[in-house]
Amino acid sequence: MSATDLVAILPMLVLTMAAVAATVLAAFRTSHAFNAALAVSAFALALFSLVPASNAAPRAVTALISVDAYSLLFTGLLLGAAIAVTLFSYGYNEGREGGLAEFYIVLLIATLGAIVLAVSAHVATFFLGLEILGVSLYVLIASDLGERANEASIKYLILAGIASSFLVFGMALVYTELGTMEFSEMARRTGESGAGPLLLAGLAMITVAAGFKLAAAPFHMWAPDVYEGAPAPVGAFLAAVSKGAVAALLLRFFLQTGSLALHPLFIVFGAVAVASMFTGNILALFQTSIKRTLAYSSIAHVGYLLIAFLAGGRAGMVAAGYYLAAYFVSIIGAFGAVTLLSGKDRELDLLDDYRGLAWQRPWLAGAFAAMLLSLAGMPLTAGFLGKFFVAAAGVREALWFFVIAFAINSAIAVYYYLRIITVLFSPSYGEAPGPLPRLPLAGTVALGALTLLLVFLGVYPGPLLALLEEAASAFL
Amino acid sequence: MATVPAEYALALAAVLFALGLTGVLVRRNMIYVLMSIEVMLNAAGLAFIAAGYRWAEPDGQVMFVFILTLAAAEVSVALAVIFRFFHRTGTLDLDKVGSLKG
Repeated sequence: MSATDLVAILPMLVLTMAAVAATVLAAFRTSHAFNAALAVSAFALALFSLVPASNAAPRAVTALISVDAYSLLFTGLLLGAAIAVTLFSYGYNEGREGGLAEFYIVLLIATLGAIVLAVSAHVATFFLGLEILGVSLYVLIASDLGERANEASIKYLILAGIASSFLVFGMALVYTELGTMEFSEMARRTGESGAGPLLLAGLAMITVAAGFKLAAAPFHMWAPDVYEGAPAPVGAFLAAVSKGAVAALLLRFFLQTGSLALHPLFIVFGAVAVASMFTGNILALFQTSIKRTLAYSSIAHVGYLLIAFLAGGRAGMVAAGYYLAAYFVSIIGAFGAVTLLSGKDRELDLLDDYRGLAWQRPWLAGAFAAMLLSLAGMPLTAGFLGKFFVAAAGVREALWFFVIAFAINSAIAVYYYLRIITVLFSPSYGEAPGPLPRLPLAGTVALGALTLLLVFLGVYPGPLLALLEEAASAFL
Repeated sequence: MATVPAEYALALAAVLFALGLTGVLVRRNMIYVLMSIEVMLNAAGLAFIAAGYRWAEPDGQVMFVFILTLAAAEVSVALAVIFRFFHRTGTLDLDKVGSLKG
């Protein structure tokens, strides 16, 4: 491994060293502010180290890791999301017992796992990244010492354990048939020999595991419970970073191996996309909990995203990337708004708790409404352009059935997002719930920045599109 | 020395995996469910060894070591979380994870 190789994987090295350093420093009873600052600066440093890494790219660091424009872009997105989550967590955790060093250490490791997924070019890194992320998530979900978080963690870890075993068994079957674990080599050999039954069975098992991690229907059962039980910032992490990393890997896997050209797999993913859209949107209509609504909404968003996957090609990749970026900003922002209003001894989750919020906290309610409008896909927000590119990619490949399902679902979704916004801006009745606590500074800054980013991506897509085009040329 | 065809090992792995999956679905005790997941993971490890044997490559065994390591990490965290649940409720019954719907 040469020095250039080390530079290319610098973001991961930074996070690893930060996690080790934080573990050592935790012995000195560090304060909460210090731990959070350490995590944020590690993420920022890793983000900055993308510059030297991009000078070394494109580069295959052993057969396991591929550092190219694509993986660098997604690494950047994941790190940005991790910074936002850390800022929100700081206010949320403030006042809890202890320095909470472990929370931030595990957050660093979980993000490391997500990045390993984004740069993965090999079955081994796929598995390792997914497990590093998954095992860290068990801890993060249970980090709130309450009963619900504990139960959510148990639920997640048992189902994630089953999903992991499906994943590795599927990988073993694929390896048995193809005799290679590199994505690019797998593509070549599939093209030569065609798909045998073992390969299809293996891919089906990998699909089950990926569907679970993406919370795509019919593997979505855990998502509402876990999102609701987990602390709000961890919910944001689950919905954005965990899902985004798996989506980034899956997109690379499909584009590089061309396995969606296999007819059975295309049908399976098409069915998953449609099922996710309808399940997510229809069940979201009946929720009274904000976190559950967001969970169902994120299930539906996976369905939209999969349409871009199915479209494939350059347009599909760019659409999926833009959609993911827009989704990251909006879902973290929406969970962030919930986080800002929750804290040590309360979790503001029921829809009724938000009644008339706009009259007490106009800016916060405005930012929350902007995030929801973006999730619904209103013009001038990032979500609109994301949806637009996905629909355009679908039309280009003449996937009419999926485009129509997409349009129907976007219409259904508007209803429940607008319902939350109506509640936010309706006059509050009954006695006032008492003065709201002061908003934590770090989280407020993060929410403000996300709102600005939301509008920026919504009216000025040029810079991100240029980056995505460059990323697409990495392997298309 | 007579050699065992890789297919036999693969078939054994598939049987083990099915047994583990049955255990997960049938058992309600968390510790047993965790053990069944371990059986599934080890079945996958065995399948990797069989695959590595078929291609005469060490990769399958490398993957097996990864699987073992991560299964250990997974179980240690899982046991900690389950222990806290037991401490609070005095039961290991999965059906008692009830305050969350469906």
